[in-house]
Amino acid sequence: MAMTKTQRRRVSSTVRYVILTVWALMAAFPIYWMVATSFKPDTQWFSWPPVYFPHPPTLANYMNVWFGAQQYAQTQYAISSQKPFVSLWNSTVIASTSTFLSVLFGSILAYGVSRYRILSEARMFQLLMLRMIPPIVVVAPLSLYYSALGLLDTRLGLIMVYFLTTLPYAVWMTKSFIDEVPLEVEQAAEILGASRWRTIFEVVLPLIRSGLVATFLFILILTWSEYLLALILTKTQVSTLPIELSKYQGSTEGRVYGRQAALAVGITIPLMFVGLIIRKHLARGFSFGMVRR
Amino acid sequence: MARIELVNLHKSFGAVPAVKNLSMEIEDGEFVVFVGPSGCGKTTTLRMIAGFEDPTSGEIRIGGRVVNDLEPRDRGLGMVFQSHALFPHKNVAQNIEFGLRMKKVPQAERVKRVQDVAEMVRITHLLGKMPGQCSGGESQRIALARTLVTNPSTFLLDEPLSSLDAKLRRELRAECDRLHQALNRTFIYVTHDQEEAMTLADRIVVMRAGEVEQVGSPMEIYANPVSYFVADFFGSPSMNLVAGDIVQGDAGARFRSVSFDVALPGRFKDVKPGAATLGIRPEHVGVGRNGGAPQAASLPVRLVEPLGRDTLLYFDAGSERAFVAISEGLAMADVQVGASLALSFDPERLHLFGANGRRLGPQYA
Repeated sequence: MAMTKTQRRRVSSTVRYVILTVWALMAAFPIYWMVATSFKPDTQWFSWPPVYFPHPPTLANYMNVWFGAQQYAQTQYAISSQKPFVSLWNSTVIASTSTFLSVLFGSILAYGVSRYRILSEARMFQLLMLRMIPPIVVVAPLSLYYSALGLLDTRLGLIMVYFLTTLPYAVWMTKSFIDEVPLEVEQAAEILGASRWRTIFEVVLPLIRSGLVATFLFILILTWSEYLLALILTKTQVSTLPIELSKYQGSTEGRVYGRQAALAVGITIPLMFVGLIIRKHLARGFSFGMVRR
Repeated sequence: MARIELVNLHKSFGAVPAVKNLSMEIEDGEFVVFVGPSGCGKTTTLRMIAGFEDPTSGEIRIGGRVVNDLEPRDRGLGMVFQSHALFPHKNVAQNIEFGLRMKKVPQAERVKRVQDVAEMVRITHLLGKMPGQCSGGESQRIALARTLVTNPSTFLLDEPLSSLDAKLRRELRAECDRLHQALNRTFIYVTHDQEEAMTLADRIVVMRAGEVEQVGSPMEIYANPVSYFVADFFGSPSMNLVAGDIVQGDAGARFRSVSFDVALPGRFKDVKPGAATLGIRPEHVGVGRNGGAPQAASLPVRLVEPLGRDTLLYFDAGSERAFVAISEGLAMADVQVGASLALSFDPERLHLFGANGRRLGPQYA
């Protein structure tokens, strides 16, 4: 029997929700697994059948990984040689500095492109094409340069490479926000007596603030979790969190899942925290049409 | 003093000329309207005066001083933009205050002047609001106030009313007129709307394809269009323009087309025979039920529009474009569609345009 229009709608909406719910669960499961594993005692890390809810939940992984607390460390899985807080500090300094530089210079460049056409469409595209080169292709020659310049295993070295590799994103993203500011608004300020700099600070920057914040977070995520360049360009002196994370599997210890998960949760939280603080800007920044025409 | 002189002004965008060799003077206190279809170069001219576009060649002088190399802010002008261009992140009072702040006017004086100008354009109740909360008409008043408060020697207005509905447009048009009377400043106004030009201007500059087609008072332009283009552009309903030929006969020159055969008055005695367009405004067409003299044609009625004060009659003249006549009052309101009526033309109000679109014969006194 044929369904009525209302019935058809109800069925199709149900099907849609089922698909989306399954998809959401699949996407969220690894995150849940990471958090759950970080609270599991070592016997449950890779037991079969899998343990979905840690019982009893334990803070041992956190205490051991972050604070090197030996009393929690079962001998086999004792990890105490690493310094996660040093890595956290390195990551914070490197990611935030390179992101700040990238957004600062990216937006200046984007303003020039948007208002003075200092780069043609083709040049802008080439700029983005730089990002199409897989980093692994350039990482070997880069490490030679770095070694010659004494930048290997330094924070400055990583800051420079992150700044340069994320600059194209920064230019493209901030340009789209600057393009949204009607030229007439700037010209109105100009004819009312504002200098170019005054116009930028009083009119353009306040209008694209949300966009800048969104760009900042986007690039911060990239630099915060970058692994390959950090792996090749650092050795022992400067270690970032993703590098630290990779050390929790070795030939002798096997995979130290619980410890690794505890560290991973620690890496994730700062980004989530930043996202929460600036969520007002994110919602506005990512919905581009923020300037009323 | 804000006498503005444009001397051989030329502007090209790449290979495309936007304004060609424009020369004119705008007197202090004059209300000049640049009018023309989009792409005719009127906005480019205004933006060159403002300083947002650099002329490719030629000079702009304000009060006798060449300003080509001056920044917009140093030219002593005020501008109202088509999009209003309010600062969306500042409230109305801050928007209006902006120009005064840039000119480092002391705080106390700023507050007073913002208040005064807000009263002048009747927006005091909006001062605390954000531009996003204001309607189109209110935004335009705010934009006007923001310009007024800096007391510029000349106001540049770039299609300021084009984003508003018809009623608001009329209202703000009257407002512009009032401000011009009250301030006695130079106004340069750009529009594509002939009605705005007719009602506001001391002098109209009609532009077409980068060139000035005609400059004159609204009445001059209405009564003596120099070309087919100007004749067609001004007036609502617009002038009847009929394609045909001029023939010279024993009794003098005549104009002939599919539907018309009109004896041309003596002032056209020297026009050469050949293709031409005859123009006559709807209000200069006489309509008679029983044939009035001198009769130009007898045409079937296509449509009757009784407007109350007068009645518009649309005739079938053998072309796509209807031939329009205005009849006073409602005397003709009961005419049936399809009925033939006799038309007569006021011979003193006939216009002739040659194949090149220029006026033929002398202009009216």
